[in-house]
Amino acid sequence: MTLNDLAPLIPLMVIAVSSVIIMLGIAFYRSRAFSGLLTLAGIAVAFITLFGVQGTRQVTSLLILDDYALFYIGLILAASFVVALLSSDYLEGRRENIEEFYILLLLSTLGSSVLAASTHFVSFFIGLEILSVSLYALIAYTRNELNIEAGVKYLVLAAASSAFLLFGIALLYGETGTMEFSRMSSGISAQGINKGMLLTGFALVLTGVGFKLAVAPFHMWTPDVYEGAPAPVTAFVATVSKGGVFALLLRYFIQVDMHAYPSLFGAVAFIAVASMFAGNLLALLQKNIKRILAYSSIAHLGYLLVAFLAGGVMRVTAVTFYLVAYFITTLGAFGVVTMLSGKERDADAVEDYQGLFRHRPWLALIFSAMLFSLAGIPLTAGFIGKFYIVAAGAGSALWLLVIMLVINSAIGLYYYLRIIVVLYAQPGHSEVSAVSSLPLTGSLVLVLLTVLLLWLGVYPEPLIEMIHRMTMRF
Amino acid sequence: MIPLHWYLWLSAVVFMVGVAGFLMRRNIIIMFMSIELMLNAVNISLVSFSRYLDDMRGQILVFFIIAVAAAEAAIGLGIIIALFRNKVTAHVDEANEMKG
Repeated sequence: MTLNDLAPLIPLMVIAVSSVIIMLGIAFYRSRAFSGLLTLAGIAVAFITLFGVQGTRQVTSLLILDDYALFYIGLILAASFVVALLSSDYLEGRRENIEEFYILLLLSTLGSSVLAASTHFVSFFIGLEILSVSLYALIAYTRNELNIEAGVKYLVLAAASSAFLLFGIALLYGETGTMEFSRMSSGISAQGINKGMLLTGFALVLTGVGFKLAVAPFHMWTPDVYEGAPAPVTAFVATVSKGGVFALLLRYFIQVDMHAYPSLFGAVAFIAVASMFAGNLLALLQKNIKRILAYSSIAHLGYLLVAFLAGGVMRVTAVTFYLVAYFITTLGAFGVVTMLSGKERDADAVEDYQGLFRHRPWLALIFSAMLFSLAGIPLTAGFIGKFYIVAAGAGSALWLLVIMLVINSAIGLYYYLRIIVVLYAQPGHSEVSAVSSLPLTGSLVLVLLTVLLLWLGVYPEPLIEMIHRMTMRF
Repeated sequence: MIPLHWYLWLSAVVFMVGVAGFLMRRNIIIMFMSIELMLNAVNISLVSFSRYLDDMRGQILVFFIIAVAAAEAAIGLGIIIALFRNKVTAHVDEANEMKG
């Protein structure tokens, strides 16, 4: 092992080092602007160094930096950049000493990036824990009653789910004798393997991962954590933490062919259908925007699993494109919530948005674009993403799942449109509309996200091309 | 030498005790202890697999698990103290502002 072997890890190191620099910096000089700028600079530098990694580089047996990993790390870094920008104005005045927020943000970004690059159970576990331990603190960060409650719920359930995950890892390790993803499939096909133990192992790992992805029936924590967490952190939980875990899941099941295990395939198909229905049906009952978006994210992960179950290279394209669209849309939607939030509470009741179009037409238009994309209306990135998922599912003849997806999209349309109707209704009496001026950085970010959303919806070829080039190496 | 499956049974039993404690107790500190019990059950099986396969990697993972469990306990107790300051209770059912 030489220094040159570690060179591909520079993007990850930049993130880690900048969190340490900020931590040491805070000891001498507390300033939100300073920590915020350092964070943005760290993420930007890490993003630029991604382009310096050439070809596929395996770093020990733990991490691999191939095009797939680089793409996902780039996506994760971009999302954290947006969250860092959104949170800067949000945090002001909510509690003293807000600088540590950025350390935690960088650390969880690091954990998620490690997940996207990991090829080994040890790096998987470490990445997941770096991500979740910093998330516990981020969720409870502003320390009001709801924050703490959300933090406690996430803490207890996430810790228990990692115990299940680890037990699964131990069983798979015991049966196959390896923790490397690439050698696992040969270990599985070896003679004298105990099928029962192997399937128990897979089931336990799936439980742990399913919890992180918030798919039914492991979704119970999601609405409460989404509602209780500060709005930018909610955006972070919905995008960065799920994106990293999904990237890992996809990589794992490309190495280990799931179609060889009908029971495993059936279990994932059940999870997909259950998530779609649970997410969409329960969202109909909600009166809180954050909770609606939480249930909608459960449903979206269900859609993603449909593409995940499809075979071939098509699924990587479908999943990746959908995740990009989902990232943009979710960040945009929670960005609007963040911008409108007053200091006492977040703007999360549906009534807060009544007649938003009258006071803030641009914000209302942006929010509508995001909701249209979540619903999968043409001209938005969400439509193209859904189209690819249906194509991938149909290509593998998963008709039942595709039909479920279509039914669920129709159900989903109802509650997205309900919010949009409220946006354009007569203004009600809400203190949220009284927010005097909108922060400039946040507005710029939202405009940029909307442009990206429409651009990908109208002209998706460049991104598709990029994803195709990335998947060719598999 | 004690056969492998004895260790696995021990580990499974300790894990189930942890799961039972996690599901049945409502005091958050006890729930946290149960999670530690589950993690240590995993450690037992990892070490025994590692010994049985004559492969050190399982034991290395155990060190990571111990370190991570310590980090988790540090953050976790911090959040529990914050909860206690708000509610003067360590009972999870008292944290019930959000429903639905």
